[in-house]
Amino acid sequence: MNFDSGRQHYYSLDDLSTYTQTSEIYSPYCLPANYSNFMNWSSPNKVIIQGITESEAAFYAVQMKAYGTDVVAGVSSGQGGTTVGDIPVFDLVEQVLEVTDRIDTSLIFVSPYQVLDAAIEAIATGISRVIILTPNVPPLDTIRLIKYAQVNNTLLLGPGSEGIMIPEQVWLGKLQPQFYQPGKVGLITTSRDLSYEVAAELNQAKIGQSMVISLGNDRIIGSKLPQWLSILNEDPHTEAIVSIGKTIQETEEIVAYCKHLGSDKPIVCYTAGLKTPQERTFQDAVTIISNHLSASIPAVNQERSIISKLKKAGIKIAKRPSEIPPMLTEMFNSKVS
Amino acid sequence: MELLEYQAKELFGMVDIPILPSQTIRDSRKIKQLQIPYPVVLKSQVRSGGRGKVGGIKFVANTIDAIAAARTIFNLSILGEYPEVILAEAHYNAEREFFLAIVLDYDLQCPVLLGSAYGGMNVDSLLTNLQQVVIDGSFSLFYARRLAVSMGLSGQLISSVSEIIAKMYQLFQEKDLELIEINPLGVNTKGELMALDGKITISDHALSRQPIIETLNLSKYQKQYNLERAGWHWLDWHNKSGKVATVCNSFDLALLTWDLLSQNKINPACGVVIDDNLTNQEDGSSLYSEKLKQILEDLAAIKGLKVILINIWSTETRSQEIIQTVDQYIQSLEESNLAAQAENIGHHSDSSKRDKSTKSKVKETLKPMPKFILRLLKVELTDLKTDDTIYLSSSLEESISKAIAMVKSS
Repeated sequence: MNFDSGRQHYYSLDDLSTYTQTSEIYSPYCLPANYSNFMNWSSPNKVIIQGITESEAAFYAVQMKAYGTDVVAGVSSGQGGTTVGDIPVFDLVEQVLEVTDRIDTSLIFVSPYQVLDAAIEAIATGISRVIILTPNVPPLDTIRLIKYAQVNNTLLLGPGSEGIMIPEQVWLGKLQPQFYQPGKVGLITTSRDLSYEVAAELNQAKIGQSMVISLGNDRIIGSKLPQWLSILNEDPHTEAIVSIGKTIQETEEIVAYCKHLGSDKPIVCYTAGLKTPQERTFQDAVTIISNHLSASIPAVNQERSIISKLKKAGIKIAKRPSEIPPMLTEMFNSKVS
Repeated sequence: MELLEYQAKELFGMVDIPILPSQTIRDSRKIKQLQIPYPVVLKSQVRSGGRGKVGGIKFVANTIDAIAAARTIFNLSILGEYPEVILAEAHYNAEREFFLAIVLDYDLQCPVLLGSAYGGMNVDSLLTNLQQVVIDGSFSLFYARRLAVSMGLSGQLISSVSEIIAKMYQLFQEKDLELIEINPLGVNTKGELMALDGKITISDHALSRQPIIETLNLSKYQKQYNLERAGWHWLDWHNKSGKVATVCNSFDLALLTWDLLSQNKINPACGVVIDDNLTNQEDGSSLYSEKLKQILEDLAAIKGLKVILINIWSTETRSQEIIQTVDQYIQSLEESNLAAQAENIGHHSDSSKRDKSTKSKVKETLKPMPKFILRLLKVELTDLKTDDTIYLSSSLEESISKAIAMVKSS
């Protein structure tokens, strides 16, 4: 299968490559090398569903197909020859290629311990976009999978992603289309329900969404926020970006992204849970160890430090979903004048 | 899930990381049958660190001392936790103490080796001398040697410490660990190594594929942790003075709801998250109502609670089901209160000079009636009449304002 089609060389633009680090292809601050995999979701897109006989997968498969998603087949070992709705089921991914010329995207719904194997099967068959809807995958499996996907230039979304939605055009995954409306704001989120809340406010203000991307709820995920920020920054249908998160991690990624590249389009950041008394989870090895050795890292309210960081980076902060539409309207208006 | 020291050491033993002869004790009288020669160290097996400083570790020279020390340790709570097990271990003369760990780094998305030539209790010097080596890809022994050298080790210690790290890495991979730590790794005058204390965390998302979980003697806390959740759970956040409880169908909605109340200076009392599996509907409907009813009853038992805010983003069918359940619950509460009042009046007519104690008893049987705010989608189709007790809206902001108004007026 040929991975070199499309706009592969985009990332080597001078201004971008300045910031590429050791791993040039996957530097988080530039357009990914497998850029074309991230784009063109609304062009013909042949989809398979791995684990289609699991009840949740079957539920969504039938609805997606009815919505217009080109679900060519399902894969479920031992269930080959059966159907789900009118979708044919195969034992192996490669068998699907006997009835269609290509597969663009695989949606993986298998149980957590089978995810690594299913995703490798998809990638080995030459599928260039893999979306993992299954949450709670063992982290060491995900690490192996990310490496394998990088080597093969595959776009990996998830684990624990709810999928991708372009209102009235593309439905891939578990985000319910009736809660979204077409428009000009791109949403990147780690939470399905928070994206519904924000979309509801945008719909009411007649702003709508250009694209909704659910990154995944697991602590280790494939494609991350900075990559999708750069994609939406390029997307001609997106005029502004709203990042919806629930951890300090996401805000730090946005700040780093804006510092390195800056964004042509306005970015609004909404983080839920700043007022909740939750324990902070730590990301990097040294902090994790320091924290458990001394437990001396004070559990301060994160709110103030997050807000000041974002302000410095020139990012708008919404305190609640209902603040987002007026904020965006103001930004759009100031752009015009 | 975090393992206790003696459980971690069982795993160390499996890959031949050197550990001292030891025995676990669950009853202080059993210490008479100790097989290890004195002097012996007794260590409280609790989750939290810092047990040494508060008396959770004792050196004993004979059986009489040991029984007394074991009794003391069993009765000593460390950050609210009493040990179920004491680890009795031989004494070791360490000349130096190292720190070794492998931790899953979520930023780098790979394991990281950590080491310090200044292990033990002094955390400051341990951390100032902490070295790290990132394992980006598959492990090879030279990564461990690199760490040993950067720790300042020389001679024979480079290879002997590297071997220990390699064994730790083997456990890390095979047992799906998030963290494995030896602190301290004792070095004696002959340069021999001994894992004197250790810590292991198994990744929560891999627990059920690790058969080791079955063979470890899990503590009460660990068993609880390992239990399947029964369709709903309490959030870890509580406010004794709170007057609002939230019920949401996801953790994220709970975050949002809690935030919005807090932004208006209303601290919620507690929160519940109810599972919402849209597709498991073969007879799932009645089960959902049952669960919700159970939650409402539990919430009603909380003192001082004035408002229950239900924020559930779901289908129309589910929303209708929630409305019905809450409506039925309110009715049953009203009926039982009416019955209690009737009884109250009945008592009064029996003898008008009832003493105060009976009066207060009757009062107790009257259940407090909280107010309900339901934030549900597409609720305009319902024929439920909203009144002082129940308020229905599909707007989040409206529901929050209503909750605030109700708390302030109460």
